[in-house]
Amino acid sequence: MWTFLLRRLWQSVIVLIGVTLISFIALQIGGDPTYLFVSENASTEEIERARRVLGFDRPLHVQYLSYVWDVMRLDFGTSLTFRQPAMDVVLAALPASIELTLFSLILAIVISIPLGIVSALYRGKPVDGGIMTFAMIGQSIPNFWMGIMMIMFFGLYLSWFPISGHVPFLRPLFHGDFARAFGNLPQTLHYLIMPALAVGSYTLARNARLVRSSMLEVLQQDYVRTARSKGISETRVIIHHALRNAWLPVVTMIGLEFGFVLGGVVVVETVFSYPGVGRLVFNAINQRDIPVVQAAVIVIALIFILLNLIVDLIYARLDPRVKL
Amino acid sequence: MALPTESPPTGATTAHMPDAQLPPAPTWRRELRRAWISMVASRWALFGLIILLIAIIVGIFGPALAPFDPNRQNIMLRLVEPGGAGPGGAVYWMGSDSLGRDVFSRLLYGARVSLLVGFAAIAVGGTIGIIAGLLSGYFGGWVDDIIMRLGDIQLAFPFILLAIMFLVVLGPGLMNIILVLGIGQWITYARIVRAETLSLREKEYVEAARAMGDSTVSIMFRTILPNIMAPLTVIASFNVASVILSEAALSFLGLGVPPNVPTWGSMLAESREHLLSNRWWLAIFPGMAIVFVVLAFNIMGDWLRDHLDPRLREQG
Amino acid sequence: MTRIRTLLMASAALSLPAVASAQAPENTIVTALSADITTFDIAQVSERGNSNIMRHIFATLETTQPDGSIAPDVAESLEITEDGTGYIYTLHEGLTCHDGESLMAEDVAYTFNRAADPDNGFTGNVPGFLFSGMQFMGAEALDDLRVQINIRTPNPIARGLIAEVMVHCKDAYEAMSIDEAGQNPVGSGRYQMVEWDRGSSVTLERVADESEAPVERLVFRIIPESSTRTAELLAGNIDLVTNVPPDQLDVIDNNPNTEVYIAQGLRRIYVGFNLSDDFAAMPGGDAIQDPMVRRALQYAVDVPSICTQLLNFECERATGLVNPPHNHPDIEPYPYDPETAEAMLDEAGWERGEDGTRFSIRFQAGRDRYLNDVNVVQAITQMLQDVGVDVELQILDWASGFVPLVRERNAGPLYFLGSGGNIWSEFIDMNDLNSVDAGTNYTHWDDPRWFDGWEVIRDPSASPEEIEETRLEMLRVFYEDGPWLHLYSQPDFYAMSDRLNFTPRQDERVYLWTATLD
Repeated sequence: MWTFLLRRLWQSVIVLIGVTLISFIALQIGGDPTYLFVSENASTEEIERARRVLGFDRPLHVQYLSYVWDVMRLDFGTSLTFRQPAMDVVLAALPASIELTLFSLILAIVISIPLGIVSALYRGKPVDGGIMTFAMIGQSIPNFWMGIMMIMFFGLYLSWFPISGHVPFLRPLFHGDFARAFGNLPQTLHYLIMPALAVGSYTLARNARLVRSSMLEVLQQDYVRTARSKGISETRVIIHHALRNAWLPVVTMIGLEFGFVLGGVVVVETVFSYPGVGRLVFNAINQRDIPVVQAAVIVIALIFILLNLIVDLIYARLDPRVKL
Repeated sequence: MALPTESPPTGATTAHMPDAQLPPAPTWRRELRRAWISMVASRWALFGLIILLIAIIVGIFGPALAPFDPNRQNIMLRLVEPGGAGPGGAVYWMGSDSLGRDVFSRLLYGARVSLLVGFAAIAVGGTIGIIAGLLSGYFGGWVDDIIMRLGDIQLAFPFILLAIMFLVVLGPGLMNIILVLGIGQWITYARIVRAETLSLREKEYVEAARAMGDSTVSIMFRTILPNIMAPLTVIASFNVASVILSEAALSFLGLGVPPNVPTWGSMLAESREHLLSNRWWLAIFPGMAIVFVVLAFNIMGDWLRDHLDPRLREQG
Repeated sequence: MTRIRTLLMASAALSLPAVASAQAPENTIVTALSADITTFDIAQVSERGNSNIMRHIFATLETTQPDGSIAPDVAESLEITEDGTGYIYTLHEGLTCHDGESLMAEDVAYTFNRAADPDNGFTGNVPGFLFSGMQFMGAEALDDLRVQINIRTPNPIARGLIAEVMVHCKDAYEAMSIDEAGQNPVGSGRYQMVEWDRGSSVTLERVADESEAPVERLVFRIIPESSTRTAELLAGNIDLVTNVPPDQLDVIDNNPNTEVYIAQGLRRIYVGFNLSDDFAAMPGGDAIQDPMVRRALQYAVDVPSICTQLLNFECERATGLVNPPHNHPDIEPYPYDPETAEAMLDEAGWERGEDGTRFSIRFQAGRDRYLNDVNVVQAITQMLQDVGVDVELQILDWASGFVPLVRERNAGPLYFLGSGGNIWSEFIDMNDLNSVDAGTNYTHWDDPRWFDGWEVIRDPSASPEEIEETRLEMLRVFYEDGPWLHLYSQPDFYAMSDRLNFTPRQDERVYLWTATLD
C-alpha cells in the first residue's frame, strides 16, 4: 500500500513537470504574445516597454526555469490579463466547474444504472431495444449541438430551464456561508440541468450500455444462479449480487473518463456561458495568458491524479481480487 | 434482436481480451464468410455497414455527384430553402448557406474531408501507438518507463486542451487537425499493444522465431503485431467515431479547418447563428450526417469486438 | 431517431413568435456582453466593453458627446497655455469619490501619473495609446481645483485624448496594491460596483441623483455565444445586446417584445494593400505596387451587395479613410463594375493566363472580430477571383494570429482590417497615416502627395483655407492611388427589450445613464 502511494507520488511529479513544460512550449512557439496585452493603437516604444514588463524579452529556458522555481515556492505567477495571482483566478472558477462535472456524472450514473438494469432484465424485448437505440444515438451526438438544441427547445420554447448562467453553491459553501449555499441549491440545480446533460450525455449513454452488458455477464454467473435457486427474491438478487458487480466497470470508466468529460466541459461552458475553468482556460489560451493556463493545467492534472488514485482505492475495496 | 454489447473502448478493454492464441489458421475466405454470416445475423451491424458504405462511396465519388462547386458563392442567393431555385435553373436540394453555397454539394465534399480526418488521424495515432507499444512491451525497462510516463502526462492533460493549445498556435488547417487528433489517440494504442506484447513475448512461437535468428524488428512486426490486430481494429473503429466528434467540437470553437474547406463539423458550427431564425436545413443535414456516421462506426466497433472476441461471442 | 424528432420540433417551434415572459428585474437594465471583464483599473483596461462598464463608475475631465463635440464632466473649464503644451483644467467644487474622499486636482494628477509610471507596468489603453498619442509628460496640481496636464508638443487631438482618461481618488489607490486596485474600483462616477461575479456578471448601483442616472441598477452579463445572447433576449431576460449578428436581426425584429437599433458606426472596414519591399517580392505583392492595379480592384468588389446581403444593412461605400461629415464632399464611391476592373488589369499588363488567372495573391484576415467578418472576406475573395485574381485566403485567430502580423506591419499583401474612427476632429481619422513610419501605417504606403500634406496641416502659420484645401487634395490622392480598397463604415447592431428607451451612439460607447426603463 505505501509503496503503491509512493510510486504514485513520484509519477505525479513527473506528470506535473511534463504538463507544464508542454503547455509552456506550446504557447511559446506561437511567437511573442506581447501584442495581445497592449492596446490596439499602441506605439512601438509602448510595445517594447510592455515586452520587458511582461518578461517576454528573456530567453525561453530562463522563463521556464524561473517559473518552475516560483512554483516550488507556491508562487504561480500573475495573470497577464487579470493582473491578479493566476492561481486565484483559476481557483475562483473551479467550484463552478466542479459543480458541473460532478452533477453531470451524478446524472449519468443515476440515469444510466436503472436504464442498464432494465435493459438487461428485458433483454431482447422492445424496452431493451428502445433504451439501447437511445444510448447508441446519445453516444453519437456532438455535445455542443445537443446543448444548443436544448437551449432552443427547453430553454426558449418551453421555458423550463434558464438559458444560460450559473448560481453558485460550492463557492459560498467553501466560504462557510452555509445559509446562502443551501438557499442557492435549488437554483443551482435548475441552472445546471441542461449543461450537465449536454456534458454527460455521452457518459450516460455509454454507462447504460456498460451496465447492461456487465449485468448480463453477472446474471449468468454461478453465484447468481445459486442465489436464485435458493429462492431469494429477484430484487434481492439484483441489488445484492448483480448490481454490486455491475458497478466495477462504471467506476473504472469514471476515472478514465475525467479528461473526456472535461473536454465536453470546455465546449458546453461556452454554449451555456457558464463561468467555469473550461471557458477560462480556452480564453487564456487564446489570450496567451500563460500563467493562468499553467495554473489551470496544474490544477486539472492534480485532480486527474487524485481521481485515479481514488478510483484505484475504490476498485480495491469493491473487488477483493485486486491488491494494491 | 442481437444488440451490441458494450465494453470500454480504452485501455480497460484489454481485461476482456482473450489470451492470444497461436496464429490463426483459417484462410481469409473462410474468415470473410464467417464475418458476413455474423453480420447478417445482427441487423444492427448490417445497418452500420450500409451507412458506412454509403459514406465511403460518397467520400470517393462525392465531387462527381455534386451538382455545384461546393465553394462557389452566390451572395444574392443566400439562405435559400431546400428545393429552392439556384443559379441558372438548378435546384438547391438541401438549400444554400449564408454565402449562397450549395449545402448538398458541401455535404458530399464534407463526407470526404470528415472521413479523411477520421481515418488519417487514426493512422497517425495508431502508427505512433503501435510502435511505442511494441517497443515498450518488448524491451521493458527504461524504454517502457519513458513511454508509459509520457502516456501518463498526456492522459493527465485533457485532450481538448492540448488540441486547443496546438491549434491556436499552429493555426487552422487540415494537416494540423489530423496531426493533433492523431497524437491525441496514440496512448490508447500504445497501452493495448504493450499489454498484448508483454503476454506474447514469452509465447512459444515468439521464442521460436527468436531462436531461428529473426531480427527484433521482424519479430515485433511480423510475429507479434499480426496477433494483436484484432483488439486494435476494434479500438480503431470506436476511435474514428470519437475523432469525427472531436473535429466537430474543435470546429465549434473556431479551431477546425479553414472556412473554405467543407467539413460536417464546420458546417454544423456555422449553422448555430441561424437556428434562432429557423434555417433548420443548415443544422439538420450536417448534424444527421455526423450522427449517422458516428453511429455506424460505433456499431461497427461493437460488432467487430463481438466478432473478433470469441469469449464474448459465445456469450452473445 | 428521438433526437431528430426533438430537433424538428424545436425548429418548428421557433417559427412561432417566441414566448417571452419578461422576468428581468425592476429598475435594472441587464446588458449582455460577449467578451469577459478582466479589470477595473483605468490604467489597465484596453477592451471597449470593459471600459464601457468602467465609464459608469469613473468620471472623466471632459467627455465627448454623441455628435463629436466635447463637453465638461468633472472639469468645469479648460485653459491651454500659450505654447500649446499645457492643459489647465479647473474642477467643479465638492466632488467626492464613492468612499467619501473628495476629488481634488491632486487626485487627478495622481491618476494620470500613476497610469504613466513605468514601475506599475500597465499595458492598458491609457498609457499604451492615449498617453503616447498626446506625448504625455506629466500632470501636476496647481491648487486645490486646478490641474495641469503637460504634453511635449502642441497637438490638435490632445484634448480629445485627455477626455478619454478616467480619473479616480488618490488615497484609496495609494492604499491598494495593483492587484487589489484591479478588483476594487473607487471612482466618482454615477454608479458604483456592488458585485463582480467573475466570468459571469458585474452589478452596478446608482450613487448619483435620479436626474443624472434614471435607472437604479445595471447588470452586465457575459455571454460569449451570440445565439445564446439572442435567445436570452427573446426570453425576456436581457434588455440590451450589442454586436448582434446580422442574420439574427429579423428574428429579433419579428418578436413583439424586442427591437433592433442600427447605429451607423465609425469603424472603417477596408482591405489594405501592403506595399512593403518584402511583399513587393511576393506573388501578387508586385502587382499591387501599381496604383492602376489597386484602382482596378476597387471596381471588382460589390460593396453595396456585401452590405445588404451579409450585413443586413444598406450602406454607402466609403471613398477614403475619413468618416462623414469630414469626408471629401465631391468624390463618388467606386461603382461595382467587374468589366472595367478586367479592362484596367489588362491595361496594367496583368492579362489572364491560360488558366484564367492574372496573378496570385495572399489575403489575410482575423476571425470573429468585425461584423460577419469571416463571410465578408470570403465574399471579397470570390469577387476578386471572378476578375481573374487567384486569391489565397488565410483566416487566422484574431488575437494570437492576426494582430501580431498587423502590428509588425507584416500582414498581407492583402489584409482585412477595421480601424476605429472618430468625428470630433476632421484630422483624427487621417491620423492613422500621419507619417510613413507610423506604427499604424500598416500598408507602408509612402506617397509624398499625402505625407507632405501633413507639414501644411501642422504649420501654425497656415490659413484655415489653405489647410482645408490641402486636406481635400490628400483625400483625393488617397481615393485614387491610396493603399486601401474602400469598403464601408461598420454598422453597429443593438437589440433591446421593449421596456428600454436608449439611443446608442455611433462610436461603440454604451453609456446607460442616458437610458430609461418603462
